[in-house]
Amino acid sequence: MNRHLNNLMMLLRQREFCLLTLVGATVAFATAFDSAFLAFGNLRDILVRCAPTAIVACGVMLVVVTGEIDISVGSLMALLAAILGVTISTNEWAWPTWAGLLIVLTFGTAVGLLTGALVTFGRVPSIIVTLGLLTALRGISTLIMGGENIDRLPPGLESLSKVGILGVPISIWAAAVTVALTAAIISWTPLGRRLYALGSSLHSARFAGLSEHRLKLFVFAYTGFLTALATIVDVPRLPKIEAGIGVGFELLVVTCVVVGGVSIAGGRGRLAGVLLAVVLMTMIRPVLTFMDIGEAGEKWTKAIQGMFILLAVLIDSIVSRQTRRGTPP
Amino acid sequence: MSFLDQAKRFPWRHEAVLLLLVVLLLVVASSLQPGFLKLRSQLLLSRHLWEFAILALGMTLVIITGGIDLSIGSNMGLSAVAFGICYSTTGDPLVSSLVALATGTAGGATNGLLISKVNVHPLIVTLATYAAFRGIAEGVSQGASYSQFGEAFSRLARGQWLGVPLPGYIFVCLAIGFAIFLWKTPTGRFLYAIGHNEQAARFSGIAVDRIKLSLYTMSGTLAGLASVIYVSRFDTAKADAGQGFELDVITAVVVGGTSIFGGRGNIVGTVLGLVLIHETRQFVGRYWRMDELRSIVIGFLLIASVLVYRMVRKRDRD
Amino acid sequence: MTNRLVQIRDLHKSFAGVHALRDVSFDIRRGEVQALCGENGAGKSTLIKILSGVLEPDEGEILFEDRVVEFHNVHAAEATGVAALHQEATTFPDLNAVDNMFVGREITRAGGLLLDRAEMRRKTLEALERLGETINVAVPLRELPLAQRQMVGIARAVSCDCRLLIMDEPTASLSARETTILLTLVRQLRDQGVSILYVSHRLEEVFETADRVTVLRDGEHVTTQDVNTLDKEELIRLMVGRDVKQPTRRETGSSASDDPVIEVQELTCRGRFERITFTVGRGEVVGLAGLVGAGRSEVARAIFGIDHYDSGHVSIHGQTIPPGSTSAAIKAGLGLVPEDRQHEGLVLPMSVRDNVSLASLQALTRASLIDTRQERALVDAQIEQLDVRTSLIHASAATLSGGNQQKLVIGKWLACDPKALILDEPTRGVDVGAKAQVHGLIRRLVERGLATLLISSDLPELLALSDRIFVLCEGRIAGELDGATATQAQILELALPDRRVPAVT
Repeated sequence: MNRHLNNLMMLLRQREFCLLTLVGATVAFATAFDSAFLAFGNLRDILVRCAPTAIVACGVMLVVVTGEIDISVGSLMALLAAILGVTISTNEWAWPTWAGLLIVLTFGTAVGLLTGALVTFGRVPSIIVTLGLLTALRGISTLIMGGENIDRLPPGLESLSKVGILGVPISIWAAAVTVALTAAIISWTPLGRRLYALGSSLHSARFAGLSEHRLKLFVFAYTGFLTALATIVDVPRLPKIEAGIGVGFELLVVTCVVVGGVSIAGGRGRLAGVLLAVVLMTMIRPVLTFMDIGEAGEKWTKAIQGMFILLAVLIDSIVSRQTRRGTPP
Repeated sequence: MSFLDQAKRFPWRHEAVLLLLVVLLLVVASSLQPGFLKLRSQLLLSRHLWEFAILALGMTLVIITGGIDLSIGSNMGLSAVAFGICYSTTGDPLVSSLVALATGTAGGATNGLLISKVNVHPLIVTLATYAAFRGIAEGVSQGASYSQFGEAFSRLARGQWLGVPLPGYIFVCLAIGFAIFLWKTPTGRFLYAIGHNEQAARFSGIAVDRIKLSLYTMSGTLAGLASVIYVSRFDTAKADAGQGFELDVITAVVVGGTSIFGGRGNIVGTVLGLVLIHETRQFVGRYWRMDELRSIVIGFLLIASVLVYRMVRKRDRD
Repeated sequence: MTNRLVQIRDLHKSFAGVHALRDVSFDIRRGEVQALCGENGAGKSTLIKILSGVLEPDEGEILFEDRVVEFHNVHAAEATGVAALHQEATTFPDLNAVDNMFVGREITRAGGLLLDRAEMRRKTLEALERLGETINVAVPLRELPLAQRQMVGIARAVSCDCRLLIMDEPTASLSARETTILLTLVRQLRDQGVSILYVSHRLEEVFETADRVTVLRDGEHVTTQDVNTLDKEELIRLMVGRDVKQPTRRETGSSASDDPVIEVQELTCRGRFERITFTVGRGEVVGLAGLVGAGRSEVARAIFGIDHYDSGHVSIHGQTIPPGSTSAAIKAGLGLVPEDRQHEGLVLPMSVRDNVSLASLQALTRASLIDTRQERALVDAQIEQLDVRTSLIHASAATLSGGNQQKLVIGKWLACDPKALILDEPTRGVDVGAKAQVHGLIRRLVERGLATLLISSDLPELLALSDRIFVLCEGRIAGELDGATATQAQILELALPDRRVPAVT
């Protein structure tokens, strides 16, 4: 095999490159359609849409890196939104906004800890725990809301979505801080190395004296906290809190994590890939909307999402098979 | 072989616990709510159960091999849309049903090919098709809903024979067939071998890829079948058919004692799991008259069933 | 101050009521290499795990420099100065060499918050240099050859300034050259005053390196004595508790290769092996020798259809086997007893019965349902022939000893009534007694006309059993030897790429 082709193959093996190409192609396509796509406002809106997914994906990614999974985040988001609504809506308890936010953050972390405890001390597989919570938490949230939407949210909450620093909305800032923090944990701290080690080989981790329980409790609690953060940045955009918040969100997040190249067997995966996957998955609908081909086009959003997932995975799988054949083991 | 020998080999424990739970639930339910156990009302309520139950049979086999199929709900949506479109052109419910079955099978085969030939993890493949099937259904149908398929067709789901809804007979036949398949055929035993240790199965000459391909294809066919019953029951074919079914089906299978990591599980357990979940739902929904409570109870039931099982087995494992 | 570094006193440990260790007491001196010998299941691994803080004993105590110590976890043991290199790979395939070296004991700055990557990298390179290895420390370990991964594990154990270093079969997957370097390093460490507890099934290494030997048998301490006072036969007798005959050469078959069963022609898989050609006749044992990584197992897997190959031709009993078709190979009468019996040979959680009948199940059906009675008869017959207790038929394969497990894998193929069998390391990790049984079984099968391809790193075994021996080197056949006259030195000569004769023979 000639050297350039070989290099190209090596490049294609990087999931990030694959995803970047797909994102680039989509952007190019939309821009060719109308160059206004690249306008600051438009890009900002897309990023705002990405923010909640990106924030939660940072947590779920670490969960998957340790060899576990969390598919309860959608329902947890709905529950947290309901709690937020009940505590601060002027129709309900009318607490100050900051108190509601604090409660949401605390409660989200607590649910994450509970998940972690069931997985570690209860030794229940994480897919079972979070599948159970997915159903149960959704039930609790509808119970709290009593089948009705919560409105009359205080103006303080809505202003959260309007406030920007340096012209950038607060949700993007929240996402950026989360990403930076997660990246720092992964590459600069012993904690990050240990999470990868744990997912890479549980057996070896025991011999190296790592505390499996503590590490897993951390990743689930972190995910719970970040889900709460995502709720806080997402809810203010809405005029009222509805029952259907976060339906299907859990599978979207898991999709972004695995499409981003994180191995579901644990131990492998980079944050950059996950973020690119989040952008790719989120931008499909805005692009279709932008192209203004009416509702007919938007109905294809999920189909295109599915195609992109398959494309990313297929290229990866085929290319790695090629390179494996071509080079000595 | 002595009876004792056989009894020892059969993994009774989980099924026994499940049976005990079902009996307990029914006793409590009928004492708190007289008439709950009446056959007529039970049969009346079972109408919602059959699509789930049929899908759970296929999911049991898939999970026994250590795989998973998240796409069945979306596949139902796609098959339902295929049914609707076909009916609107041909006007023949039988042909439309066959088209729906074929669509489901094709969807399943797509999963199977990607999993066995391209060697991508089933979770990833079916996450992709979970989005893709629903998306194609929405895109093709553009949100349209088809209905009024005629009296004869709606009798498929609503009709009864000896007081039992017709889909019930389909389920029972399938369940018996699947149980014998798992228990008595070489391929059935190979599923367990694959679930425990795929590599060793390959080294024993088991055609792992071919088995996986047919398994996911079968799962798709069942999704097609479930969608036909679903369409018949509501007399409506729409892209949102079967939304959220995948996780409920997995819940029933896991409550039934099938290990999510593969290698363990059987049809008896899955049937008991289905009964337990179904009756819990009915009871909670009717006694407290709060639908939200149902999902809370089911969610915690799922976690508790595995938690208890793990605590009981703790000694064995350590 | 005494000369004793560690005193082990009355150690007891049992698992679910079964004694793994009973009343074990012995000393380890400062600056000595002490070999720990025993059959599988003798309690070596349990003892090592207790000494390194992975397990805690039920009773008894450990004195380190005359003070009682209790190791509740690995960190406590390491802090006291005990480091261990465990038998099972204890590296992390997804982490690079630097991270592997320091997981769990990272070097940090900024008050323990951040990693000091430069320092860790420097120390890693330093440790690897001592081992004479140049390894790419930036890539994940899974991209490195097995031997290099093993060296990283060794570097990790060696690099913490320990007083007692425990090594459990460190040379199992190393080449001769690396083994030599490792044993040299062991002696260096000893000269620097480090005590080493060394476990190895390769008795040659024990006699070459150790100062004293401790023998365990059935969880009990048999003896601790100077290695000079023992010879090989005596040591084996202590381990097994009775006399075991060393393998003797088999009377080679007369009319071997005129009736070829396995025929392999010009088999090539780029990057793995090239132009492999040989035949195995009816009633013949052909040995395949070579270093780890020479491509022996890869050739076996390709013949059996597990892996694809690029070109060449395989036929069994005159029937051509298409590449990648395991079922065609089995139908033609071939079986493969793989190298890794726990992951490839057996489905451990399944019962003995299910494992033995797994490959022949298709033939045991009536109206496409499994005929339980026929299956039972077949399994019973195999189990009896293999000398496994029939009461175990419903026990899960995981509960059996290594030797019995290996017999099951062989039994699985015998149930298919094969014409030819490939045995890949059939006695690795099998204790001395069971090894003799497996050898006896192979002899009996060959007498009945089975064509056998034997892959083994155990050269005495290979020489004792084979009619002819092919030696692989870097994926090519480096030579063919006559089993009756070949010597270990000849095999090694052909097997070594750089033609350097190692210290271990």
